[in-house]
This record gives sequence, C-alpha cells and structure tokens, in this order.
Amino acid sequence: MANVSLNAVRKNYDETLHKDTLRNINLDIKEGEFIVFVGPSGCGKSTLLRMIAGLEDITSGELKIGDSYMNDVPPVERNVGMVFQSYALYPHMDLRENMSFGLKLKKMDAATIKKRVDNASDILGLDPLLERKPKELSGGQRQRVAIGRCIVQQPNVFLFDEPLSNLDAALRVKMRIEIAKLHKELQSTIIYVTHDQVEAMTLADKIVVLSPLDEGADSNLEQFGSPLDLYHNPDNKFVAGFIGSPKMNFVDATLVEINAKDCVVELITGERVTAAVDANRAKVGDAVQLGIRPEHLVESEHEHAQSKVTGIVQVTEHLGSESFVYMDVKGCDFTFKARPEFPAEAGDQLTVGIPTNACYLFDENELAFQRTAKYNRGA
Amino acid sequence: MPMVQPKSIKYRKLATHLGMIVFLALIIFPLLMVIAISFRTGNFAVGDIIPSNPTLDHWRLAIGMDVVAADGSVTPPPFPVLLWLWNSIKVAGIAAILIVVLSTTCAYAFARMKFRGKATLLNGMLIFQMFPSVLALVAIYALFNKIGDYVPWLGLNTHGGLILAYLGGIALHVWTIKGYFETIDPALEESAAIDGASPWQAFRLILLPLSVPILAVVFILAFIGVVTEVPMASVLISDINNMTLAVGSQLYFNPQNILWGDFAAAAVLSGFPITVVFLMAQRYLVSGLTAGGVKG
Repeated sequence: MANVSLNAVRKNYDETLHKDTLRNINLDIKEGEFIVFVGPSGCGKSTLLRMIAGLEDITSGELKIGDSYMNDVPPVERNVGMVFQSYALYPHMDLRENMSFGLKLKKMDAATIKKRVDNASDILGLDPLLERKPKELSGGQRQRVAIGRCIVQQPNVFLFDEPLSNLDAALRVKMRIEIAKLHKELQSTIIYVTHDQVEAMTLADKIVVLSPLDEGADSNLEQFGSPLDLYHNPDNKFVAGFIGSPKMNFVDATLVEINAKDCVVELITGERVTAAVDANRAKVGDAVQLGIRPEHLVESEHEHAQSKVTGIVQVTEHLGSESFVYMDVKGCDFTFKARPEFPAEAGDQLTVGIPTNACYLFDENELAFQRTAKYNRGA
Repeated sequence: MPMVQPKSIKYRKLATHLGMIVFLALIIFPLLMVIAISFRTGNFAVGDIIPSNPTLDHWRLAIGMDVVAADGSVTPPPFPVLLWLWNSIKVAGIAAILIVVLSTTCAYAFARMKFRGKATLLNGMLIFQMFPSVLALVAIYALFNKIGDYVPWLGLNTHGGLILAYLGGIALHVWTIKGYFETIDPALEESAAIDGASPWQAFRLILLPLSVPILAVVFILAFIGVVTEVPMASVLISDINNMTLAVGSQLYFNPQNILWGDFAAAAVLSGFPITVVFLMAQRYLVSGLTAGGVKG
C-alpha cells in the first residue's frame, strides 16, 4: 500500500502535432483511498491510468508511488496490479495458472504461490473453477479472475481500467458492490477508471473529473474531491453537468440583484429566480447560467417553490417509482424529476418551482459561484 | 444456421454439389493420370486411365531396385530417387523450421514494436518479393560461389547454401504472421508485463502459444514451397547426389527419350512428404485458441 502523487504530469502522443492528451495533472492520492477517474470518452483517463501502470511513458512531470520517483521504472517494479477492460486473461492457461503466472515469473516457491492463489480464489469465490480455462467462464467470473490475478501479486496500488463496462446492467451492479467490499477487505489504494458517473459516485472516496483537453486550456483536470463535494459544490459547469443523473439543467440568465447571501437573476423567459449563491465577484447585468438539478425541482405549489420557471412539455417518461418530464424552456433543455403519477402531456405549458437553496450559478467562463446554502428537501 | 429458407434452396444446393463434384474431378484427373502412367508398361504419356498391363517396374526403379526383363536383361535404377527424396525432406524440413523462426520473430517486431521506418521496411519487403527470384539467379550463383570460398558448407552444391538461399523468401510469411499477431489483444502482453514478464517472456509464454495455428500454416507453406522449388535448386546444386527430387526428376527428360513412366513414379513419390507433413500439422490447425481471454 502506498501513496501515489502526480505532479504537473503531461502526456503527448505526438509532439509534432502539439496536441496534448493530458496537461498539468496534479493529484495527491493517499494510501488506502479509492480514487475514481471519470470523464467522457477521449478525456485521457485511461491514458493517465496506463501512465501510472508504466504502460505509457510520461511526457513530462513527475510520478511518485510511495516515496520513489517512478517515471522511468518498468511496470513490474512499480508493484501495481491492473485489471484490463478486456480482462486480458491468458486463454491457454487455466485459472490457477492465470493467477500464478506472475508469481512463477518472480520465482516464488510453490507453497507460497498455492497459498496466495487459494486465498485470492477464496475471497472471490472462484474455488470450484480453478481448473477451468477462461473460455468456459461467464463474463462476471472472468472479471473476478482478472481481479484475482491482481490480488495474488499483493500490489501497492490496484488499477482498474473500466472493469465493468463489458458486463450487463444487473451484473455490473453486483460486481460494483463486490469491488466496494473488496476495497474494505484489502484496504489498499485503488485507482479506478470509468465513464459511468454512477460507478464513480458509489465507489469513490474521491473522484477525479477529467475533460477532453481544449486548445489553450491550462489543464484538463476539472476537479478532484469527494463525490458529495462534487455534487454539491462543483467548481465549474462541466463538473456540474457530468456529476448527477439525469444531467443538471442549465438556463441562460442575467444578474439583476446581488446581495450578501443570495442574488436574483432574470431567466431568458423573463422570470426572476432567487439563488442562494454568493455572486459578489460579478456585477449586475452580467450574463450567467443558472443550474438546477432535475431532482431538486418541485411542483409550483410546493412550499419550497420560491421561484418558478415555465416551459413546454416535450416528453414524459413514467418509470413507476418516478417520472421524468422533459421540457423546453426557451430553447434550453430542462428535465423535471416528478412524482410517479405526475400529469403532464406533451405540448402542455408547465410551471415548476425552483427552491432558492438548490440553485447553482455559473459565470461566463463557466466557473461556479460559491453557494451559500445546501438544499434540504425536507421530509 | 437455422434460418427459414425458400423452397428453391434445395435445387440450388443440388446444383452447388454438382458443380463442386465436377470441379473436384477436374482437379483430381491429372493426378489420376500420373498415377496411371506410373503403373503403365513402357514409358508412354498417352494411354488408358486404367492400365491394361499394369506393372510395378517404374516403382521398382524409383525405390532403387533392379528390374529384370523376361529376356533376362537387367535394368539398374537410372537415378538415386530415394536419396533425392531424402534430400528434399531434409532441406525442406530444416528450411521450413528456420523460416518459421525467422519470420515469427520478424513479424513480432513489426506487429508490436515501434521503430522508425517500419512502414517503409514492410512495404519494401513486399515489393522486393514481387520480383521473381529467378531473375536474380545469376547474382545468387555468384554470391554463393564467393561464400563457398570462405564457408565451404554454405557454398555452391551444398544443402547449407540452398537452405540459406531459401531463407531469403520470408517477406510474405512475415506479413501473414504479423496479420495474425495483430488480431491478438495487446492487453494480454501488457498484462504479462505488469505480471513481471520481459518482452521475450511475453512473446514466448503468451503470444507464441496462441499463434500455433498460423505457425503451422506457415510451416506447411514453406515446406511445400521448398519441396516444389526448381530454379534456385537447379542452379545451386549440380552434383546428382545432392539434388532435390524436384530438380533430379527432370533428368528423366532426355531430349530423345523421355522416361514418362519413371518420372511419374518419382512424381507421385514426391507427394508423400508433403502429405505426411500436412497430416502432422493438421492437429495444430485449430481455431479458437484465443477464445475467452478477452471480451470478443
């Protein structure tokens, strides 16, 4: 087990193109933490993981595992274990051979190898399958073997590269819980890559949100923090939109009044919304974007409906436990998570309530203003 | 594939089978003719497909036995056919093994390593291979003549030299194996690297065992290529006892007296090693070796 620290790490696959994949990544990962790299495809999250593993070289910057400088150390000496998206089991070896392959290469004695493999297969429930070949296993079992192959190595850091993306939805939930349990049991540092923000929210101690690097941007590390911190206090519009499902609603607005603890904005619909946001660094008349999560919206008669917004209903989805009403608010997509039997037909004009404390506000550069309250839905 | 088919499929199937049978007959007929000639009395190219007076004389001569005619005259075997056969097997076997070794390692470099001029080299190899090696025979003769001055066992008229010459023609095999390597998920070797395998170990313990089918194919192709090769062997080998069967059997074609019967027996004989090698290699030609390793 070890800390992992990245200092101003940059990756460029082809220097002649001057197009960085990753730029200025600074992370300080503490021993035993479960870290999730999350971001849309093409943001470099897998590349970053492979750089930590030693499968890609680091263009510039510094990587430390434990206290040692690791930039030029080959993968095996970094003492990391990696679970690949494609599992990468050795098809011509049975499970026991698959798991003991690395230990044999390290010339460990047979008794230790057997003990470690048995221990890992015990943790993962692979005992009855040890003599089988990978092709005789189901997807979930293969996934477990891939994890087992890591465990036997007793690595300082576990690296997971989108391990659940090949599984079906039900199995994914099951494996997600198993991985969470495994982390509790092993107490080791885990770095986990996913594009699924639900996996990120449920598994992580801390989340690293990455975005595809824009030309001229200083870094594509958008935010590094605990899941709830990212949910409640996103640094910018990208993180706000990426964390949370369904996605946060954004409506263009103009600042009309700034107070110490809140402010008033006028939406493009002409409606005024009071937001519990400290907007003192801006001035009246600035263009802003109001952010509001679908799950925080209330019906217009609700006691928290301090402000209101009106739109035209496009589609309503009834999921049984809840309904999603998709609206059009003057060209902005707007989703309202409503109670199950909420009546809304396509074409209806619908007014929903916006609680003051549930508002997020972003300036022209998409940076968030500090929120002054946390929304509490109440009983 | 249980799919609903229209009625006409029956007739189409029948037609397909008929077509295949005709095609097969066309392919097999020449072989049957050669076999027939080898059992026909006298050295005639034309005659019945089922010999009216079958004789084993040509086969006796081919495997090195004297033939005693009814009048008591003895015909000794004109050429050492079995020795030629052995030469062919020896040269083809060794050359095929070396070709597999060379082209596999070469293909690994092209499939997995990054180096400058990779594409140029690959295309260059392919283009050079397109010139028939016959065109370079003069050069090859001169080269091996010179090599023989320094390393006698690689010079003219040696099997070593002949094998060395055959090792020049591996570009197509490199392409074939490279193509197969590229279908194997590199994550397997990356995983091995994290497990502590050196590039050589990852190649030897992970990639090679998964590539056995393509290695078998290349071995068979190389073996057949060498057994049937004539121009290079006929220029490099001049001593009758060092000839391969393909070269030696042309000695039956005297301008005045072509020994069709003896030639046919030798020709059928040359098919044996290829058949045996193919049967042996067949069990390695299995598909699905890589199944289950990665999400397909």
